Amino acid sequence: MGSPADRVGYGNMRPDRTGQAEAFDAIGDLYDEAFPHKEGQVASAEWLIRSLPAESRVLDLGCGTGLPTAHQLAEAGLEVVGVDLSDGMVALAQQHVPAGVFHQADIADLRPGGPRDLGRFDAVAAFFALLMLPRAEIPLALQTVHHLLLPGGLFALSMVEADVDDFSIPFIGKTIRVSGYLRDELREVVEAAGFEIIEESAYTYAPASVDVPPEVQIFLRCRRHT
Amino acid sequence: MARPARACTAGRTRVTKHLGADEGTGGQTAGVHEPAAPPHRSQHPAPSPVSGDRSEEARAQSGADPGAEPQTNRLRYLDAATRQIARGMNLDETLDELCRAAVPAFADTAFVHLYAPLPIGDEIATAPGVLRLHTTARTPPRDPATHGPGPPSPTADTVQAAETARPAASGLLAKLLRDGRPVFGDTQGTDSSVAELLGTANVPRAVPPGRRLIIAPLHGRRHAMGSVVLIRGPGRADFTDDDLLVASQLATHTALGIDKAVLYAREASVADALQRTMLPPSLPEPTGVRLASRYLPSSRTAQVGGDWYDVIPLPGNRVALVIGDVMGHSMTSAAIMGQLRTIVQTLAGLDLPPDEVLHHLDEQAERLGTEHTATCLYAMYDPVLHRLLMSNAGHPPPVLLHPDGSGEVLHVPPGAPIGVGSGAFESTEMHAPAGATLLLYTDGLVESRDSDVLTGVEGLRARLHAAASQPAPPTLEELCDRALGTLGEGDRDDDIALLAARFEGILPETVAYWYMAPRPQTAGRARRLTRRTLSQWGLDSMVESTELMVSEVVSNAVRFASRPITLRLLCTHVLRCEVVDDSPLVPRMRHAQLSDEDGRGLFLVDQLAQRWGATRLSTGKVVWFEQPLPGDQAPPEESVAGRLDL
Repeated sequence: MGSPADRVGYGNMRPDRTGQAEAFDAIGDLYDEAFPHKEGQVASAEWLIRSLPAESRVLDLGCGTGLPTAHQLAEAGLEVVGVDLSDGMVALAQQHVPAGVFHQADIADLRPGGPRDLGRFDAVAAFFALLMLPRAEIPLALQTVHHLLLPGGLFALSMVEADVDDFSIPFIGKTIRVSGYLRDELREVVEAAGFEIIEESAYTYAPASVDVPPEVQIFLRCRRHT
Repeated sequence: MARPARACTAGRTRVTKHLGADEGTGGQTAGVHEPAAPPHRSQHPAPSPVSGDRSEEARAQSGADPGAEPQTNRLRYLDAATRQIARGMNLDETLDELCRAAVPAFADTAFVHLYAPLPIGDEIATAPGVLRLHTTARTPPRDPATHGPGPPSPTADTVQAAETARPAASGLLAKLLRDGRPVFGDTQGTDSSVAELLGTANVPRAVPPGRRLIIAPLHGRRHAMGSVVLIRGPGRADFTDDDLLVASQLATHTALGIDKAVLYAREASVADALQRTMLPPSLPEPTGVRLASRYLPSSRTAQVGGDWYDVIPLPGNRVALVIGDVMGHSMTSAAIMGQLRTIVQTLAGLDLPPDEVLHHLDEQAERLGTEHTATCLYAMYDPVLHRLLMSNAGHPPPVLLHPDGSGEVLHVPPGAPIGVGSGAFESTEMHAPAGATLLLYTDGLVESRDSDVLTGVEGLRARLHAAASQPAPPTLEELCDRALGTLGEGDRDDDIALLAARFEGILPETVAYWYMAPRPQTAGRARRLTRRTLSQWGLDSMVESTELMVSEVVSNAVRFASRPITLRLLCTHVLRCEVVDDSPLVPRMRHAQLSDEDGRGLFLVDQLAQRWGATRLSTGKVVWFEQPLPGDQAPPEESVAGRLDL
């Protein structure tokens, strides 16, 4: 980290992931129980499948349990690589999606010149993954996605609409830190990272856990500017 | 008033009860005994005779000294008779016992008149009321085979009593009853009283000549309550002076017994009223759930139970469902129940999770005294998430009737009762699908002398399942009736409280929820979110007022908050906005001075909103307001179902 070759400006920033991976290690399969019926997410992955030629290479950033997205993409004949900060989640994903390749990694490690190089992708999906980062890192993460995509590559992003930065919330019996933007601001951040927003939709989503209040979810379908 | 009379034969006495003459007991004791099942005391024979022909028979049989024996017999008789009278637990029983003790051993006919209404306790007596005939007892025609050759009493049934008498306040009868001393019917100046009690027309021919009638006033600790008229038939000796003392004793004990019965009945009705006052007078009608409840007191007099139920609306259209039972049956149970219910309401208002509510309830209950324990189940229903969160303190398990009609006894860890001080409670979360019904109840519904709790719970589950399996699914009220089963009508050992909640749920599309860090621009952002959401819901006409109020409330929240606030918009039959922040300072409406920069916001809300409120939560506070939808508009299911395309 902080190498001179760092073209994405993490600078001296040392990402603090304390507790985030541990929380998800502990949550495990409970995540899918608390968040069933991911219609919005399924529809977004559907868009990727529709838009990509067969055997395209897709990265599922923050793949979690591998359900439903990595599984859905792999079933559709795409080459799926999944990444998650949580070891436990990576293990579950590998179990759920045997055809996929899954890595435990921090998104910061995937930056240009970073320690992990997974190659380039035709598409990246990041469903409710970037919200785990502090706000200062989100533009950097978006630049990393930009770097990971081939020119014209597709990017499916979802976030929870909120105006918070690195905010601790109770989450399925654990505590995690999340960040978010209101819609207009999110668009600005995404566009500033070099993406064209093709489509935007929003849902109110009611998780199946009293621990998580209903949330407004935003789905963006984007393309990397050349 | 038509008064159906009843007669029951016990021992050798025929007692006729004039129903409806016991208004003073609150109606609790007017139960009709089945003639086929006489009370247990009928096994006791009437005390032995004292004077007159029947005692002479007895004396002749025993061959005792005719000089000393009458006094001993009289004392024996009085001893047995007063004990018999004291056995009565209510008005009817007391008077029945009097009649059984007096007829036929002491007299052939007894008429009991009581004032209506019956004076109670220490209340100052008002003008004497109406005297109503309450009980009549007569010696049945004697059976020659068992009672020797004596002629039957031809007049036994001929003497009649007045159904009602209206003694003048200053009249001789009222004075006689006030004085409280028995008199012979032939005493000078008593004629008119006898005439009043027996009905004038009957007097000359019905009462045999001589000392054959005694009027014994029933005088309690403070009040004249009525009279008993004792009459001997022609085949019997006259009353003696000593008999007047016997009559006095009978009347005194009876009057004290009535005093006791009336006070007991009044205590029962006070306890019942106390219990009912402590229960919700009506249930709220929160969106997303339908509710019904029942409370049935124990069928035993003065058996107040301390059962309670409650429904408390919470922020976010959630609702707390509570059921509890204070152990013991007394006025104290009801009083403790009222206090526990208030504590639960306060704790619920703080929006604590169920296990926390029970934990704090347990702590607070200790302050009410260590001798009180209670069971309590606290459930929280979230209609948006379709989730149920429950915690239990030793209460019987709730039953969930699924939408398909199957019944499930929910496994909620039972926990220790409130007041035991163990303090370890846990919350159980589960799916609460729309169309399911949750039934909370107290042990009176599932426990009885004949069956244990587990059998009772299974029986309840089966009853509900049967009710829900019919072609036409039952309404919530019908379901309550089915849950009660035969307990609704029959004898109950214990009181029963029942709370039924049918989950309907709220579409997530009618809810919007955001976290927002407190910043100077937050109010503006909240306005923008509000405008956008209302426009999606087709509520453009409400945008202006809602934006204004949201802006005021958010501005206020942002000033004191240290963590992100939340803005929640809910569109059901009203538009509800809730702003939660982590500052415990609850804003109060006050008149703003010209120099004040703040304090006007809530005035604005008060002017524009239909309802509003500010409530302290465990982690801060919530300020909410509601506005009616324009033209009673239905919730925006159509306009926002599914995806919100932008």
